[in-house]
Amino acid sequence: MKKQTKLLIAIVLLILAAYFAYNYMYQDHRDIKMEEAKISVSASELVVFFKDNKSEEILNNTVQVSGEVTEIDLKSITLDDSVLCSFDTEVQGVNLKDKITIKGRCIGYDDLFEIAKLDQSTIIK
Amino acid sequence: MKKIIIALLCVFSVFNFMNAQDKFITKTGVINFEASVPSFEEVNAKNENVSAILKSTGEFASLALMKGFRFKVALMEEHFNENYAETSKFPKTTFKGNIEDFDISQLDENDKTFTVKGVITMHGVDKSIEVPASIKMVENTIYLSTIFVLKPGDFDIEIPSIVSSKIAEEVNVSANFILKSKS
Repeated sequence: MKKQTKLLIAIVLLILAAYFAYNYMYQDHRDIKMEEAKISVSASELVVFFKDNKSEEILNNTVQVSGEVTEIDLKSITLDDSVLCSFDTEVQGVNLKDKITIKGRCIGYDDLFEIAKLDQSTIIK
Repeated sequence: MKKIIIALLCVFSVFNFMNAQDKFITKTGVINFEASVPSFEEVNAKNENVSAILKSTGEFASLALMKGFRFKVALMEEHFNENYAETSKFPKTTFKGNIEDFDISQLDENDKTFTVKGVITMHGVDKSIEVPASIKMVENTIYLSTIFVLKPGDFDIEIPSIVSSKIAEEVNVSANFILKSKS
């Protein structure tokens, strides 16, 4: 009986360990859509963070930017010629010169075009 | 004398105008890399926001933001960012180079193979590379795609021995750019 109990405990522990290990290895991706934005600024202000060497405050963080739509691509929108926001799905119902607010994850600053980039974006309004 | 200067200025401005016309760009190019080892979890990441500029002279530049690489497995993405590529410290990878014997007037709707020579800067390390690229042009849009191999070791990216059996030593990289004429 005692031996059986020990065996049972060992099995339960093993299952628990496997369960936690699996959850650790296959944890979910961040859900940018549900995350609260760390900062909320205009598109041109976001670029200033990189110029002032304060990129660590926004890099890989969820940010909210607003501005005028200056370019529309299949899966991306550029605001005020300074922030490119890319979407996981095709962009719909947005027109040039619309004033909109977009939330997304800031992935960095692109020196080639002098723009900041967001991915996993969603339109707030 | 004055007339010559004016004439020269005119010629230069025309050249400038032509140069401005003959630039092809994208901000949403795609780079994929794969470092899978058979029978282990696939190691695969994709960045769909890569910038690139191709000039009619064959000059080519590209920039990939490292945080923009997305993996299927979230933990892999975390390890890539924090431990291997150290993307907070080295947020971008760039390529600057030339497409050899590039002649824009020779491009058509069929893929032609060119050699791209230049320098990749990743993880703070510069490395010269020479890779083949296939290029075609349809309706004033240039399609450039390339596949090549990089070794993390060449860029001082260390893979700890505990996981090294699950990550290939040679990483297959593929890049696809749809470059639109910038007016």
